[in-house]
Amino acid sequence: MEFGTIEREMYIDATPDIVFEVVSRPEHVKKWWPDDARYEAVPGAVGEIVFGDAEGGGQAVALSVVDVQPPWRFAFRWTQPADETAAEGNSLLVTFELTAAGDGTLLRFNETGFREMGWEAAVLEEQYNDHLNGWDYFLPRLAPCVAALDVRS
Amino acid sequence: MSALATGDIEDDLWSAIGDPTRRRMLDLLLATGLGTATSLSEQLPVTRQAVAKHLGVLDRAGLVHGVTAGRERRYRIDDAQFARAVAQLHAVSNAWDARLRRIKRISEEIQRQGAQHD
Repeated sequence: MEFGTIEREMYIDATPDIVFEVVSRPEHVKKWWPDDARYEAVPGAVGEIVFGDAEGGGQAVALSVVDVQPPWRFAFRWTQPADETAAEGNSLLVTFELTAAGDGTLLRFNETGFREMGWEAAVLEEQYNDHLNGWDYFLPRLAPCVAALDVRS
Repeated sequence: MSALATGDIEDDLWSAIGDPTRRRMLDLLLATGLGTATSLSEQLPVTRQAVAKHLGVLDRAGLVHGVTAGRERRYRIDDAQFARAVAQLHAVSNAWDARLRRIKRISEEIQRQGAQHD
């Protein structure tokens, strides 16, 4: 198992209150991510996000709310097996941290987890290991992303 | 793993390429063109038996093809399937960037609408 992190930082021209609502409330989350989101934005709440039509071949993914500190911090785990409690090792942990910046908000995002949990994590280590050239040949377009990625084995 | 739900990524392909040893094997096959369980195990800190098992996983995912030659099967990369896996990998690594751009756009729209009402 190898541990990976994706990190991003972004300025948003909106107040932390607004950004917090957008990253945490299901009715907003389903506008920027899945087709549907069903959970309560309170710590410990367990719900799901749905890709596609839930009634017809769509795919539901477990989501478990970890931390809710309006308007500064929202964290959740996802991708855990439906019959398991989300924990390190069986899921990816997503954290949004907001700070006021001028008239807007600085949003810090990161997703951490064992790379076996997701492609996001799997792509990373190769960028730091120049041991073999195959991936470098096939993955040149990834270079711009790499600067913002941090991987620990 | 089916839970990732990033569209049409196939579970077999994901789990095949999600393993570090199997990625190193793919790297070696890319570098050498052809390999057997024996030749690959000589370059990796795992047994020939383990390599043979990994080759089976890669074969089922369509990432390598084996041809029996003498007492051993010789494997080579399936270029089309490998390129497809890499393209999907790339798409997912950019997925959060796209989501974050939408978060920014939605937040700024709400901010502007609020300002108009003031």
